[in-house]
Amino acid sequence: MKAPPLCPNIAANVHAHRAKKEYLEPLGLPAERPADWRAKALDKFRELLHERRSLSLYMDVCVRCGACADKCPFFLGTGDPNNMPVARAELFRKVYRRYFTAAGKLAGRLATAEDLTDDVLDQWFTYFYQCSECRRCAVFCPFGVDTAEITMAAREIMASIGVAPKYTTEVIRKANEIGNNLGIPLAAWKDSAEFLEQELKEQTGKDIKMPVDQEGAEVLLVPPSADMFANADTMMGYAKLFYAVGVNWTTSTYASEAGNFGLFLNYEQLQKINRRIVDAARNLRVKRLIIGECGHAWRAAQAFTDTLNGPLHFLQKPCPEHICEFAARLIRGGWLKLDKSANDGVTVTYHDPCNLARGGGLIDEPREILRAVVNDFREMPADTIREKTFCCGGGGGLLTEELMQTRMNGAKPRVEAFRTTGADLLATPCAICKAQFPEVFKHYGVDARVVGVMDLLAKAIVI
Amino acid sequence: MNLALPVLLYAAVAVFLLGMGWRISWWLRAPAPLKIVLTPAPKTFSGVAVRLAGEIFTFRSLFKGDRYFWIPAWLFHLSLALLLIGHLGGLVMPKVAEATLGLDESQFEHLAQVAGSVAGILAISTVLWLLIRRQVGERPRSISHFSDFFALILLLLILGTGSHMRFMGGLDIMQARQFVAGWLMFHLVPPPSNPVFAAHVILVSVLLIYIPFSKLVHIGGAALFSPTLNQRNNPRERRYAGPWGAAASISKSK
Repeated sequence: MKAPPLCPNIAANVHAHRAKKEYLEPLGLPAERPADWRAKALDKFRELLHERRSLSLYMDVCVRCGACADKCPFFLGTGDPNNMPVARAELFRKVYRRYFTAAGKLAGRLATAEDLTDDVLDQWFTYFYQCSECRRCAVFCPFGVDTAEITMAAREIMASIGVAPKYTTEVIRKANEIGNNLGIPLAAWKDSAEFLEQELKEQTGKDIKMPVDQEGAEVLLVPPSADMFANADTMMGYAKLFYAVGVNWTTSTYASEAGNFGLFLNYEQLQKINRRIVDAARNLRVKRLIIGECGHAWRAAQAFTDTLNGPLHFLQKPCPEHICEFAARLIRGGWLKLDKSANDGVTVTYHDPCNLARGGGLIDEPREILRAVVNDFREMPADTIREKTFCCGGGGGLLTEELMQTRMNGAKPRVEAFRTTGADLLATPCAICKAQFPEVFKHYGVDARVVGVMDLLAKAIVI
Repeated sequence: MNLALPVLLYAAVAVFLLGMGWRISWWLRAPAPLKIVLTPAPKTFSGVAVRLAGEIFTFRSLFKGDRYFWIPAWLFHLSLALLLIGHLGGLVMPKVAEATLGLDESQFEHLAQVAGSVAGILAISTVLWLLIRRQVGERPRSISHFSDFFALILLLLILGTGSHMRFMGGLDIMQARQFVAGWLMFHLVPPPSNPVFAAHVILVSVLLIYIPFSKLVHIGGAALFSPTLNQRNNPRERRYAGPWGAAASISKSK
């Protein structure tokens, strides 16, 4: 997509709603901004500089070459210069220079150093919540400077002084208190599983189970909770897949969420939410852990679980495994009988969720599955797929109503790429993408549907 | 004998070395508590070495992102590397360089003449290219600071004085070599009396002092130490955990 002309501050007035006391306190965050907030924020900044090499290195080495500038979907969609990754990071670096570098302390404005003021804090809250931590910029950076690391640090500092969005904190509170982001209680999870079992019976005539909290099952499947309630075809797809190969599996009501919004707020919550999955696997005495169709969930689970809450000696490797890896393995081994024609009549393309492609190395498996179950599969343009994929616009904790403008702007490059394929079905293994795209298609007048990879696989499985 | 020039150069080199050591140890002191590698990524050390070599020597990611900008960026760094090597060969150890290349003195001088000229012209033109890009391009202009122009203009002045000596003559190369050899052995020899030489050395000293405190610190290993590039993508095969535990914010919630 061609870069738009610069439109300074055009996105300056789109903000997330700020969390109030009721969402901050349960997460151990201050209920309101303390009087000495600046000192506290700078203490946190210093702490993070000492604890994260990514941050201390990326604060120093950026040469502002601008290779990232036109790679960010939120810049391409808005033209707001503060949405260029380099400029977004500069909002943070100017404060870093002012308080933590010799040049900034001595030369001040000449070294582009700036005090941490109310205005700067407002800028942070605005623009670090117009970044979806998608990491596309980092792919093109000669030093691999990862804006997501900077966004996460800025959000963590803000959270430490009670400045956080209502959406993220509310979701994390539900994940901590109930076990999933939607806040679905245990009983409703079981009801829904039973309902989907009946639905499967009607569709296939077989008794396909959707077990809940079954101790001693071989596999614990942790899907995004949205699969149980919104993406029923994906959920039924998992069940049909396990049924077809006779694997004894279960879901857990304690860890009824693969998603981990801690990634969008701070490491403490990241670790805490992730621990539920490990505890559930241990308590249910399963042998294997499989993660469902969710992008950032996969990054958190795949890259961080063993570090944060391991060792995972009691589980078989690969641990965790992604449902697409599992399914692709079965297809390669010839374990599944597939009828491609079940998906005839539609043209399918694949959207790489950012965190699968750039955060979890899961690029080929979903394609392997789709090629095996769909006759008319097409790719979007090469510079918009695989590790160069564009964010759906709703990742990174932005999937909330008041950020709709940001979300639609961020989705623009993805929609343009999608349009070139002529596809009428977008397959993607990510609950956030699945929630975002229907809004996007409505907004841009695209006549297409969004499905999971499992949905199409399940359709083609012959049992 | 004028001591100002050699003493300034000692001071500049000391600041540069200490400054770079200080920055690099600052980066390395902080742990990389999580695997944040950008995927797809290699799973082995040799794979990581290939990835890093690609980034450091060919600017692979930049090439992927912007080919038209990659040209001046890569040629600029290449020409600076050539000039550094040239100075090492021509000024610091000409005998070793001659022997390594199997050339006699006049052949070597001739080569130095040609290679130095080409590299100098290349460096000046790419610096100008980068300067103009920061002025003309709408996005580069909006992200450029005073320090970006300062660095480029300082380099331009260094290259200008160097080229002046190369093309306009006036520098006694033997005197320069004696000065460098004496300086290296802490046995000071008078510098060449050429004022352009003095200006060149002063500007280089300013650059050396400036590097550790500015974005130019990236020459200390920006790609080499970058966790997104130098980590192996094997968090599931091998538990990634380390002695940072007690210091890292992640363990505080345990």
